[in-house]
Amino acid sequence: MTPAESATAAVEPSPVEGKYVYCIIRNDRSKEFGEIGIGSGSRVYTISYNDLAAVVSDTPIVIYDPTRENVLAHEFVNETVMREFTLIPMSFGTVFRSENDVLALLKSTYQAFTDVLDKMQDKIEFGLKILWDRDKVVAAIERDNDEIRRLKDEITRNAASSTYFARMQLGRLVEAAMEEASNRYVTDIHEQLKDVSVASRSNKVIGDRMILNAAFLVDRKDEKSFDEKVKAISLQYEDLLTFKYTGPWPPYNFVNIKLKLEKAT
Amino acid sequence: MGLLTNILLAPFLGPVWGTKWTLDKVDRVVREELTDDTPIKEDLMALQLKLEMGEIDDNEYVRREAEIMQRLREVREWRERFGMATSGGPVRVAERGESE
Repeated sequence: MTPAESATAAVEPSPVEGKYVYCIIRNDRSKEFGEIGIGSGSRVYTISYNDLAAVVSDTPIVIYDPTRENVLAHEFVNETVMREFTLIPMSFGTVFRSENDVLALLKSTYQAFTDVLDKMQDKIEFGLKILWDRDKVVAAIERDNDEIRRLKDEITRNAASSTYFARMQLGRLVEAAMEEASNRYVTDIHEQLKDVSVASRSNKVIGDRMILNAAFLVDRKDEKSFDEKVKAISLQYEDLLTFKYTGPWPPYNFVNIKLKLEKAT
Repeated sequence: MGLLTNILLAPFLGPVWGTKWTLDKVDRVVREELTDDTPIKEDLMALQLKLEMGEIDDNEYVRREAEIMQRLREVREWRERFGMATSGGPVRVAERGESE
């Protein structure tokens, strides 16, 4: 693109400036969070209504694709805000046409936001995804389960004569033992984390290696204990499971306010 | 006219009705498929996990992410065409929302 063309392109987007909303916080003064906004790193600031504020940046009226770059920008703002405030995260990609529309949101949802902010005061979220190594789990099952070990030995010894049905039965026993093991691991891990978390939520697992995809709501004062506990558990299961531990996050999985929004045309 | 018409048309009545019903049903199934972004979002999450686990590199991620974004945009277009809610784009507080 030649400079002349890019200059034209820069003029062309509609002059209407929208507001991209990242989260809602409790703060009655205006506040700046730096030039970290989604899109082009625009200024992130607050729009206040009474003691509530929406954290926003100016944006052209566009639909943001949930690309990694955009999602990370959205999350980075929330992480920055979270260092100082308890926040209610907005869904990715929420754009309002004007400051007045943002004020209308704060006004109409004031009570629900206030209640949730009270509930989420000093709470943070951690993500825990657990994947297993199938081969290692199978090996552990064969070691610990007498019936399976015996059947397997038998099939190996009589490789030529062992029946299709014996193999089928072995497969079925292993499958059942694996499901049982998965449940046992997940229950044990939840149990161990219960005392250091306020709530947990299990999401749908991704792919066929994952046995747990959970979010934990943790009191800030328990952050260190939670952290240590997760590390201890991952050591305990080191040989069998892989832990993907992330956070602290805003309470993405524990806030569910159904906003009554409609398309702004 | 009378008898001939009946003979000519009669065999068609059944199948025509049948076809219409099937088309309606197909239409509904197709519409659901065209407007459902759940599997696409699952693909996106699976892709992210692959990157995190080091199973694919950055270039591969970017390439496949672009494909997924294209699919998401297509679903969004279909949803708009069918007058369904879409995520993203400008919103405002619904006028006929809950009273305070």
